[in-house]
Amino acid sequence: MVPILFYAACAVASAGLLLLLMSSGGNAGHDGQGRAMRAVATVLGLAGIAWILVVIVQAIPVTNDSLGQVGLMILCAFISIGSAVRVITHHRPVFCALYFVLVVVSGAAMYVLLSAEFVAFSLIIVYAGAILITYLFVLMLAQQSPADTKGADAVDYDRVAREPAGAVIAGFVLVAVLGGSIFGGNHTTARAAADQALAVRGAWNDLARMPRFLTEQARRVDASAIAVVRQPDGQMLTVQPDFSAAVTVAHADGSAPSTIILPPALLPDNTSRVGMALVTKFPVSLELAGVILLMAMLGAVVLARRQSEATAHDTPREHNS
Amino acid sequence: MSEALSSAFTIAAPTQISIALAISAILFSLGLIGFLCRRNLIIMFLCTELMFQGAALAMIAFARMRMDVSGQVFVIFILTVAAAEAALALGLVVLLYRRRETLNSEAWADLGES
Repeated sequence: MVPILFYAACAVASAGLLLLLMSSGGNAGHDGQGRAMRAVATVLGLAGIAWILVVIVQAIPVTNDSLGQVGLMILCAFISIGSAVRVITHHRPVFCALYFVLVVVSGAAMYVLLSAEFVAFSLIIVYAGAILITYLFVLMLAQQSPADTKGADAVDYDRVAREPAGAVIAGFVLVAVLGGSIFGGNHTTARAAADQALAVRGAWNDLARMPRFLTEQARRVDASAIAVVRQPDGQMLTVQPDFSAAVTVAHADGSAPSTIILPPALLPDNTSRVGMALVTKFPVSLELAGVILLMAMLGAVVLARRQSEATAHDTPREHNS
Repeated sequence: MSEALSSAFTIAAPTQISIALAISAILFSLGLIGFLCRRNLIIMFLCTELMFQGAALAMIAFARMRMDVSGQVFVIFILTVAAAEAALALGLVVLLYRRRETLNSEAWADLGES
């Protein structure tokens, strides 16, 4: 509705980032002028991000979200964007990696808010636990010796940004185009209700693909149920307008199958839905992911071996010379 | 309309989803800016991980919008590719560091055709 305000907010934030990138390098490193520039840049950047969030919240007329969740989301937004800025401006690589951990953790918090719990925790395990530790190891392996830094606390190429203006302009255009598309949406109450109905229907259909799980859930409603049988139209379940589902169950005592209603609280949780989708919808991709990991492992072994051979050849030559 | 629904299935949350999409766009372009600006090889690869984070957040937001888990499954595959990429790229970085004794990407500027 008002993308022009969004573009203005993006421009303010970009100006702050540009100032921050330019103040971190060159001669303005540690004197008072550099510090003042950094303060101005931080204020500009925070104001820009806050303005972007305000514009977005105002542009959505439907407010079905709980206020607490939106507040948490905004908190996560500030943490994650702030530490992402530190990742690209901090002049000591180890701190960049540690700030990236903060980006990952606040990202996982946002995943939980968006009800993707399984992926949130695998993100923390894989990213913060494995990938970032690899980065830290390589940073230690490839650390510059203190003599190279010439008294400063970081080497030259970590302090001076290359072409900050061009990069910030490219980033500004990207955010303006990507973020501007948010405002083209059709956010009405009817649309939100239709989305909701579609979503619940999809969740019940996921459950219908897991007959054993479906039977377990049916047993919670009717303890004598031993199996869910297909309904006359061939479906396992029928979604009701109030988002509950009707299933036909066979009974242990051999009486005629009867129809029971499953309340929405018996919908499958996130983890079982993700697991089911992995092995039923995307089995080929799952196998391919295994092949990719195997290839990466082989590649890493080959790289490491060539490296040790190179050092083995180099060492005697250094002794001779 | 949805008193009975558990909290995870309350009505599609357009404000949260829009905020998440905006954050994902900002994270992606911060990664792009970092990749263009930084001259340390390792930090450049860290910035590509930042771009992965932005893309994955957009996937999760769209998955929430439709309550379809395909987006979340895609993020799992993104994690796989990111892990493979980190292993290979960091191996290459260590190899390059052994050759030139510096992490400065401009030490390799002579690889161009000029």
